Amino acid sequence: MSETLAVGRAVPDAPAAALTPSLDGRRKLQLALGGSWLLDGILQFQPSMFTKAFPAMLAGTAAGNPAFVASPIHWSATLITHHLVVLNAIFATIQVALGLGIAWRPTVRLALAASVLWSLAVWFLGEGLGGVLAGPASLTDGAPGAVILYALLAVLLWPADREPDRRPARFIAARAAGEKTALALWTVLWASMAFFALQPGYRTASGFSDEIRDMAAGQPGWLAWPVSHLASLLAGPGLLAASLLAAAFTVTAFSIWLPARAARPVIVLALVLAAFLWLAQGLGGVFTGGSTDPSSGPLLILLALAYWPAAQARPEAVPGAEGA
Amino acid sequence: MSGPGWLTGLLTAVMLTVAAYNATRLAAAPRWGRAAELDADGTHVVMGVVMAGMLTPALSFAPRPLWLTVFAAGGAWFGWQFLRTRSGQAAGRWRCPHPLPHLIECAAMVFMLALPATATAPAGMGTALTGAAAGFSPLTLLLAVFMIGYVMWLGNNLSAPAVATATGTTVIARTGFLAPRCAACCKIAMGVTMGYMLIMLL
Repeated sequence: MSETLAVGRAVPDAPAAALTPSLDGRRKLQLALGGSWLLDGILQFQPSMFTKAFPAMLAGTAAGNPAFVASPIHWSATLITHHLVVLNAIFATIQVALGLGIAWRPTVRLALAASVLWSLAVWFLGEGLGGVLAGPASLTDGAPGAVILYALLAVLLWPADREPDRRPARFIAARAAGEKTALALWTVLWASMAFFALQPGYRTASGFSDEIRDMAAGQPGWLAWPVSHLASLLAGPGLLAASLLAAAFTVTAFSIWLPARAARPVIVLALVLAAFLWLAQGLGGVFTGGSTDPSSGPLLILLALAYWPAAQARPEAVPGAEGA
Repeated sequence: MSGPGWLTGLLTAVMLTVAAYNATRLAAAPRWGRAAELDADGTHVVMGVVMAGMLTPALSFAPRPLWLTVFAAGGAWFGWQFLRTRSGQAAGRWRCPHPLPHLIECAAMVFMLALPATATAPAGMGTALTGAAAGFSPLTLLLAVFMIGYVMWLGNNLSAPAVATATGTTVIARTGFLAPRCAACCKIAMGVTMGYMLIMLL
C-alpha cells in the first residue's frame, strides 16, 4: 500500500509520490466508475429512500410501458413497499459494495460483472427500460437510461485486452471490446439519443423547455437559476433546439469512425453535450434529497473520456496492475 | 442524524471502533518501534469520537467551538505538511506522507461543525437545508465527492504490491509499518461515513 511505504524503515527518505503505484488510463476510469457506484449507494441511504416515495417512484416508471415490462415493475414496487427498509438497505449496500469491489484490485472483475447484472436489473425494474418502449423517453430523465450506461462502461472498461499482441488500441474503450464493437456501441448510444430528441414531445415550441423547467423544482437557488434560464432560452424555439440537439447527437454518433485527429473534436462535442444534458437534468437532482443517482450526464462524460484517442492506450505492464 | 436509527447506530459504532483502534496504534507503534502515521492516527481518534457525537448526539460531550479549534489546528498542521511534501521534503517515520486527504478531512469537519446546529441536528440532517446552509451545497457535494475519490484511491492501493516502487525494497518497508491494511480499512470506513454525513447535508 502506497501510504505505508513512505514511512517504512527501509525507505525513510523516499518521496511519497515516487512510492505511489501508477495508474493507467483504464484503471483511472474504472475507479471513477466505482466512485459513481459508491456515490449511488450513499444516495440510496438517504432518508427519503426509506419512505414510500421510493417504491412509488419505481412504480411510476411502468406508465406507458407494455405489460411484459409494467407487470414486473409493479410486482417489484409492491414487494419493496412491503419490505421497504430491509430491501432499500440491501440495494444501497449492494451499490456500496460494487464501488468498493471495483476499487479493490482482486475483486475488480467480479464487481464489474456484478455491476452489469445489477444495472440490467435496475434498468428493467427501476427505470422501465429507460422509457424506451414507453413512448416519450425523456432526455432529462437520462434516456435511454442512466443505469444502462454503468453496464456499458463496465463492459468497455473490462480489465482484459482483446488483442494483447497487436498494436495498441486507439482508445481505452477498444482494449477489451475491440475497436469496431466499441465504435458500434458508441454509435448506437448517441444515435438513440438523436432519435429521442426528435420524439413528438420535443417537436413543440415548449416541450423541451417545460421538461427542463420541471428539473428546477426543489433545487437550491444557485442551481435553479441557470436551469430556469436554460428553460426560458429554449421556450420559444423548441423545435429548432430539438433539431439542433438531434443533429449534434447524430454528428457525435457517426463522426467517431473518423481517424483519430478528426475524432478528437467529436469527443469534445460529446463532452459539451453531456455537460449540457447534465445541466438540463438539474445535475440529476442530487441536491433535492430524493435522487438515487446523478443521472446520465457524468456517465456520458466518463464514456467520452474512454473514447479519447490516445497515442498509447495500452501502457507498459505495471507491477500490480494485473487484473485491472 | 436522520435516516434509520439502526444505520446511524451502526455508523456510530464503526466510528468509535475506528477511534479506539487508532488510539491503540498511537500507543503501540512507538512501544514496538514500528513506523506509523502518528499525526493522521491522532486526528482519526478525535475525528471518530466527534463524528460519533454528530451521528448520535447523546454521545457528544464537548462544545462545538472546542472541536472547531481542534480541527482547524489539524488542518493547519496537514496544510503545512502538504507544503513540505510538495517541496520534496521527506515525511519521516511518524508523519503521514499524503497529508492532503487529511487536510480535506479536517476542512470537512470544520465545515460540518460550523454549519448552524439545526442543520446537523437529528431532525435537520437529511432534509433540504435552507437559508445560509443551502448556499454551501456545492461545497458539500465537492467535499463528498473528494471523500469518495479518496476511498477509491485507498481501495486501489490496498492491494497494490509492495514492489512497485523506486527502491524495490518495500517488502521490508511494509514489515516496518504497523498494520498497514488495518490502517487503510479504518481510513476507508471513515471516508465512507464522512461522505454519507456530507450527502445527508445536501
